[in-house]
Amino acid sequence: MSPVLGIAGYVLREAASRKFIMAFMIGLTLVLAVVALGMRIDVIDGALAASRLFGQEVRATIQSVDVALRPVYRAAAFIVFYGGILFGIVACSDFAPSLMSPGRIEHLLALPIQRWHLLAGTFLGVMTLALGGTLYGTTGLVLIFGVKTGYWTVGPLVAGLMACVGFAAVYAVMLTMATLVRSAALCAAAGFAVLVGGIIAGHRQDIAKAFEEGVSRSLFQAVTLVLPRLSALAEAAGDMAASLPLEVRSLGTLLVGVFVFGMAALVVGFWRFEGKDY
Amino acid sequence: MTASTPAIEVTNLRKTYNRAFRKTGNIALRGMDLSVPRGSAFGLIGPNGAGKTTFIKSILGIVQPTEGTVRVLGGSPEDARIRARIGYLPERLHLPGSWTPTAFLATVGRLKGLPPDAAGHLSLLERVGLADAVGRKIGGYSKGMRQRLGLAAALIGKPDLLVLDEPTDGIDPMGRMEVRRILQEEVQRGTTLFLNSHLLAETERVCDRVAILADGRVVREGRMEDLVRGESRWVARFAPGASVEALGSAGFVPARADGAFHVEAPDATALNAALDRARAAGALLVELRRDGMDLEAVLLGTVSAQAMRAAEVAA
Repeated sequence: MSPVLGIAGYVLREAASRKFIMAFMIGLTLVLAVVALGMRIDVIDGALAASRLFGQEVRATIQSVDVALRPVYRAAAFIVFYGGILFGIVACSDFAPSLMSPGRIEHLLALPIQRWHLLAGTFLGVMTLALGGTLYGTTGLVLIFGVKTGYWTVGPLVAGLMACVGFAAVYAVMLTMATLVRSAALCAAAGFAVLVGGIIAGHRQDIAKAFEEGVSRSLFQAVTLVLPRLSALAEAAGDMAASLPLEVRSLGTLLVGVFVFGMAALVVGFWRFEGKDY
Repeated sequence: MTASTPAIEVTNLRKTYNRAFRKTGNIALRGMDLSVPRGSAFGLIGPNGAGKTTFIKSILGIVQPTEGTVRVLGGSPEDARIRARIGYLPERLHLPGSWTPTAFLATVGRLKGLPPDAAGHLSLLERVGLADAVGRKIGGYSKGMRQRLGLAAALIGKPDLLVLDEPTDGIDPMGRMEVRRILQEEVQRGTTLFLNSHLLAETERVCDRVAILADGRVVREGRMEDLVRGESRWVARFAPGASVEALGSAGFVPARADGAFHVEAPDATALNAALDRARAAGALLVELRRDGMDLEAVLLGTVSAQAMRAAEVAA
């Protein structure tokens, strides 16, 4: 078996033992169960006739199911994107620092694995965790509304995957931070900084107008240019989930930008880790 | 690797830890030369801060030397195939508390590239005295039990070289005997044992060769019996009734212990001449041995001498 997969398994086993991750999964299951059991939707000829939540009518107007579900899926996409990344930052901030703790890192580095295997395996393990949680939530939501309304769409799943791409860029920075300073708090802080920076970067054209023309505006544009445009990605994910036309000009360019940022952060982390003494 | 190739061979090994915002680094090793013969039980001893842990990390590729060469089992420690033949127990092994010991050993085995061997892992746990704790989570283990589990992890895959940093730390006296037995079995199997322990009596019992490290250098190295042996002083005991004055004139000086005498004899001829003189005076020899030192005395003597030399050089 590849050492990268071995380390990923190591991380996943560690994650399985974390109580708050288990609590999150149980909470997610409960939310899905409440939606499934507490919501009643009546569909007639593809149109939403009535919907009730815990017996209370929530919508009276008759409209097509796909149109009626758009705000639900869009809201769910934003919750998954921002909520998922925030939870991921908190929940995964100490995986890498823990793996690099004294007494554990020496043991791992003395095993017949390359150093990059250790970082790549940690990254893969965390991303598997993020992907699993995202797909569990979004698939559950699609299944519940699909069964209740007969309207099936992969939009929310694609939106969930885009949230994972955003988190990958954030976690790449967190992992790199762990190779510089073995601190869960600093890893989380770096993750938050990238998230906030990514939200700003997504609105950089609008925000840039608030700066005076000249050095300050150029500086702002230069800094935000290298950051992943996470808010733009979230908007695109929301549009995807709601099956709306994309507002962003090129999703491909957006994804490539996020990918390049994540890879650049990882390269710095790998380079630092290769030359570090423990 | 041929039988004559040393298990560990370092030449002019230097390591300086560079610190951010500081002009000078922390020198841990100052040109260390050491050769550990294959199949030996080798002990590394020295005071705190001598560079023992840095040396161990260097031979495992955990820290990168500033200068010098390191060869382990005939290759570079950077080579994963070489590290696959090494079993290592770090000084403070941090174990995942929520795992069971079998899951931990299975993960270590997987990362060593070995096929799954649940029965073998159970047998290892039994060997290190953890048979009764197999079903418990590691978080509930005592310090000694964790050390035993770390030793079991180091033994996975029958390594050619065992590098153990304080393996008996936290283990009770009975447990130490068990660990000693396991280590001796491994050496008999042909494994090279490299042991770093502050328990000098432990090192003395297990190892056949010792190096003393002080201030980042090997200041003394050799076979255990040569290091602890006195140079030319012997201890003799005579049957009751021997005249102290007569023995004194034969060259025997009363020792602190009752009935024991010291005699200086640089070779066998001188020793037998002294004994003949004692016998001629009516003394009957009942015990004769070289006046040896324990490892603690050897370490203290060597390190003190090294410190004095360093002070002289500095002056």
